Amino acid sequence: MNLRIKLIPYERLKREEINNLVKDLKEGTIILVDAKLNPKEEADLIEETMKVVSEKFSGIELSSMDLAELKETTNFERFKNMIIERIMGKKRGLTIIGPAKIIKKIEKNPEELLLYM
Amino acid sequence: MVVKHFRRLKNRLASAIRRIFKKKKEIKIGLYGPVNSGKTTLANRICVDWIGEELGRVTSIPHETREIQMKEKVTIRDDGRSLTFNLVDTPGIATKIDFEDFLKFGMKRQEAKERAKEATRGVIEAIKWLDRMDMVLVVLDSTRNPINQVNITILGNLDARNIPLLIVSNKVDLKSSSTSRVRTAFPGYDVIGISAKTGAMVNELYKRILKKI
Repeated sequence: MNLRIKLIPYERLKREEINNLVKDLKEGTIILVDAKLNPKEEADLIEETMKVVSEKFSGIELSSMDLAELKETTNFERFKNMIIERIMGKKRGLTIIGPAKIIKKIEKNPEELLLYM
Repeated sequence: MVVKHFRRLKNRLASAIRRIFKKKKEIKIGLYGPVNSGKTTLANRICVDWIGEELGRVTSIPHETREIQMKEKVTIRDDGRSLTFNLVDTPGIATKIDFEDFLKFGMKRQEAKERAKEATRGVIEAIKWLDRMDMVLVVLDSTRNPINQVNITILGNLDARNIPLLIVSNKVDLKSSSTSRVRTAFPGYDVIGISAKTGAMVNELYKRILKKI
């Protein structure tokens, strides 16, 4: 089985329509974004996904990791991250989005994501 | 800790401002949560307790509630205080809906496909209604792992909109229930463990709603 993984910079996600992302997901691509999506973006993604759910495409699994959630992060590091994030305009972390037919479940703890395929 | 207090202060301030400007508007309290967490069971419990009639049908089949259901003018009272609101029961939010899951419940293929289609529309509708809420009860199934994307997305969107919320850790009557797991997963939020089915701790929930809004 071939697995296609696409890395999308957060900045491009902001520029492009979320439904372009959904097109890739429908074609079986797993998407990695180099930041944590904000709640509105997550809700928009769920909405766009629901619009195209069909017999062949049952939806998505997604999960985000946030650098600020890491256990060993000190208050100073959190503050530093906050400043960097303000400058960069994105929440540092990682988002993984995959078609539900490929990724059955994602389990998350602050430091790792466990993908069930 | 600081974040927790700041969030509480921000929510109280937002709710006070909302009270001033929306005094004459009808208050809407929404029930949000993932699929099969017991939202409609709780809606029925509240409606039966205060107006003597149920709001919606409850079954073990996922996505039983596929449209927004609302009961107007529900008044809850406690200790001389009262609150009248419209209770809004929303379809469960999900990131995936597979019609084949419904076949396991004995549905015919066409019926399952139709149900899946309606369920997708329900999820979209539930998300769109978020902006109309004055307060939300986030209903979670306390027997399941609370750390999942749907719960995180719901809480994040309510925070971003400054909507006061209460996490309802439902199904405490079941052996595998763990409200402490819910509290650990979402520190900084008000969490109450109840059983909408048996009515355990529901009176405490009414007190908390009156305090929140």
